Amino acid sequence: MSLAVGRAGAARLPLGLSVALLLIAIAGGALFSLVTGGRSDIGLAAIFKGDATSAAVIRDIRAPRSLAAALIGINLGLAGLALQAVTRNPLASPSILGINQGAAFGLALALIAPHAVPLPLDGMAMLGALAAGILTFAIAGGFAGRIDAMRLILGGVAVGAFSYALVRFAYTLEDELARSVVRWTVGDITDIRWPPVLRMAFWTVSGVIVAMLAAHRFNLMAMGQDVAKSLGADPRVTLLIGMLLAAGLTGAAVSVAGPIAFAGLIVPHMAKLLFGQDHRILVPTTALLGAALMLVADGMSKVVSPPVEVPVGVVVALIGAPWFLLQTLLAEDLE
Amino acid sequence: MTGRLGLTYALLGAAALAVAVLSLAVGAVRVPPGVIINTLFGLDGPTQDFIINASRVPRTLLSALTGASLALSGAIIQAILRNPLASPKIIGINSGAALAVLLAAIAVPDLPLGWQPLIAIAGGIAAVSIVYAMAEFRPISPARLALIGIAVGFTCDAGVDFILVTADTYDISAPMIWMTGSLWGRGWQHLEAVWPFLTVLIALGLALAFRLDLIRLGAAQATSLGMNVRIERLVMLAVATLLAAISVSVVGVLGFVGLIAPHIARALVGGASRQLLPASLLIGAVLVMLADAAGRAILPPIEVSAGVLTALFGAPFFIYLLLNRPSHGDE
Amino acid sequence: MRSSLFGLIAAMALAVTTVHAAEIEHELGVTDVPDNPERIVVLEFSFIDALASVGVAPVGIADDERRERVISAYTDVIGDEWVSVGTRRSPSLEVIASLQPDLIIADLSRHGEAYETLSQIAPTIVLDSLAGDYHDSVEQMSVVGAAIGKSEEMDARVAEHRALMEDYVAQIRPLSEGKSAQFGVTNANGLWLHSPASYNGSLLEMFGFSSTMRPDGDGGVYETNYVPTTLEQLSEVNPDILIFGEYADPSFVDGWAGETLYDALGAVQSDRVFNVTAHNWSRLRGMLAAELTAADLLEIMGQLE
Repeated sequence: MSLAVGRAGAARLPLGLSVALLLIAIAGGALFSLVTGGRSDIGLAAIFKGDATSAAVIRDIRAPRSLAAALIGINLGLAGLALQAVTRNPLASPSILGINQGAAFGLALALIAPHAVPLPLDGMAMLGALAAGILTFAIAGGFAGRIDAMRLILGGVAVGAFSYALVRFAYTLEDELARSVVRWTVGDITDIRWPPVLRMAFWTVSGVIVAMLAAHRFNLMAMGQDVAKSLGADPRVTLLIGMLLAAGLTGAAVSVAGPIAFAGLIVPHMAKLLFGQDHRILVPTTALLGAALMLVADGMSKVVSPPVEVPVGVVVALIGAPWFLLQTLLAEDLE
Repeated sequence: MTGRLGLTYALLGAAALAVAVLSLAVGAVRVPPGVIINTLFGLDGPTQDFIINASRVPRTLLSALTGASLALSGAIIQAILRNPLASPKIIGINSGAALAVLLAAIAVPDLPLGWQPLIAIAGGIAAVSIVYAMAEFRPISPARLALIGIAVGFTCDAGVDFILVTADTYDISAPMIWMTGSLWGRGWQHLEAVWPFLTVLIALGLALAFRLDLIRLGAAQATSLGMNVRIERLVMLAVATLLAAISVSVVGVLGFVGLIAPHIARALVGGASRQLLPASLLIGAVLVMLADAAGRAILPPIEVSAGVLTALFGAPFFIYLLLNRPSHGDE
Repeated sequence: MRSSLFGLIAAMALAVTTVHAAEIEHELGVTDVPDNPERIVVLEFSFIDALASVGVAPVGIADDERRERVISAYTDVIGDEWVSVGTRRSPSLEVIASLQPDLIIADLSRHGEAYETLSQIAPTIVLDSLAGDYHDSVEQMSVVGAAIGKSEEMDARVAEHRALMEDYVAQIRPLSEGKSAQFGVTNANGLWLHSPASYNGSLLEMFGFSSTMRPDGDGGVYETNYVPTTLEQLSEVNPDILIFGEYADPSFVDGWAGETLYDALGAVQSDRVFNVTAHNWSRLRGMLAAELTAADLLEIMGQLE
């Protein structure tokens, strides 16, 4: 069972036009993300005004946040693309692997019993995310190179439910705990500053380069393991590359923003819908699309429920979950 | 064979009884066995009377009843979807109910307290209806139904997260406890509100077991045996949905019972629904009674929600099931 | 067997002493409360405040299993003999019952759902402590006073409290004239401002501070009591005086030190950022709590000179 949408390809726009539209979307998203925020007096005009306060807000607060959004979009999009390519399963993506709830688990543990855990809060969140991701991946048969879709989803649901049991127990103990856990477990980039963004940028750039170099291998993988082998690309090596790529990119994003669901699932799908199946084109376009989606989501996170800023992960989930539903509805080859 | 089955049922019944006694015996306050027995017959003081007669007895009965209902619901859903990994949660009941309860809590903060169960039931039914309607959209298949259920569940969960991050803590204080799946504060009035419906539905579910066995043979064979599979499947789905939604409305989101109980039952009595359903029922009752009793007793005076325990123990068990199952095909 | 015998005797004793009963009106109806209840269980901190105000010690407190949360201002009056009945969110009903209370005071948003069950243990009154503001919390004092049969003492204490607060107001108002002040709690991963609708917001307002926590300047107020706030949003609110309660050290706000936008805050530039005890300001409510808050504020205003 797989969930390929529009594989035969509905009439697609010419590549150049699509890329141009994407770039416009990114520019628009970036602008949207840059001109919205807590300071209602600092909007579009302020960018050109150039007084000290506006400059500080744009430079110190909004620019790193917008860049963080874009980088996270690229990271998660590419991680999803790589996972889907090497497992040849369109549902494989960091968000389905239960890493969100895993991060929440680590966090709840650190908050409930601060003396019993070896790492600080964000370390525990990372560790939890990693453990949950690996566990789900193993359950789904990922290490054997072929992911069973139903097992993947159910494994993610089980790992998630296990983690959330502890998280919800934390809710019942403390109001302050509940507030912290809720905001930390959904993916949040409010109040992010330059240093972590620059660290993540290093990972993103490396990831994009590796993904570009591996694009041809991903294409061969799509033709089937035997074909790939006969053409000189050992599927096991491709699998390893894809896994490491996905893990590194996802880890970098989670460490900065916490777990953000669905971006890694839906961005590659949208890219395939627009640009077809060739990974040499998909890698750069998925990156662009991920950046665009996250920039728009970041802008929306500031305006959907003013004056409160909704964590960007919630906005992405509100977009991504219905998309996943739509994808399920339109999937052609279910039994 | 029948002898062995009879013995299994006898043992299951004995286990349920033993756990019920245990559930009466343990809690945040130690009550000596002699006092418990005296209290049950109204021979003791008012303090024990509350702890035993007004708290532990109704909680034990309610956990047995809801555990049985959830397990039965899970067994029916697994049979309909022909997927042993399905559960009430998979078709969106829990998430739909949770979203409805939270929406109501923030939209109408002054809503009378008695409404919460009705809203939970409505939310659960609405989610399943959406899932079913969407699955009908194309030739219905068990896999499609399950996937759409999960997707609808994800969508509801996104809404739940949105409310959790934007609402004031005091608006959602009570719903938070409910969302962990807890029998805290439950008494006779809660049992009275649900037992007539749940017993009728349980009876109905058990009566349908024979038809389920036919469906299990596969839709094509069942049709050739003269069943209108679509209608029958819809009726059974409705029974399973109501069983789970009504249970969830009163004890909250108790995870994994509907999933695990049928599995243990299958290992004990085999896959035929006529055997599987009654056995699941007993096992579900045992699981929830056990979780509630343990939740009261392990960290007194802090109450650990029963749903926390069912998930902490249920999830690893489920993962074990996943790992020990062939990748493809159902059952 | 002894405990059951004791229970029986206690019940008979109760039956003798509870012939007369007061009818107390509360959030969820009217409850017959025995005259002069002696074994009282309270499920929120503001009710400890109420009892301590008239020198009554509760037998059970939902203290989240952390006895230090009942501060010395209370333990000086009520001692430390109380039994913890668990968390405020889901206190153990069995433990409450085992204390054989003759009155339970519960919170509307937390325990409203369990009102019927609590009432089976003992007469229960339900008040809106958690979501209410300062003025609500003082009004609830009279309800508690009537319920524990100490209306006169409580009225006297409330009058004394009001006089004391008026005194504080008289001292603080001249200094707060035309100034805005904002309270917020911060833990390791965020800042939550308490809006004008919240308990602390209403206190600051009483002391003559204005609030700048109004989006877009169109007069609309924040609908929620606790608002997660970014540095950029804080710079929009930009009050003259900032008061932080820190649940973690270093707190999230500490991390902002040195940033252009933080340093540009009016309160930072004029050195008007103050730290107070988060627990006292944020979790506690009531008369003693408000007096502590007022004393903190007076001290803060003294430092302004």
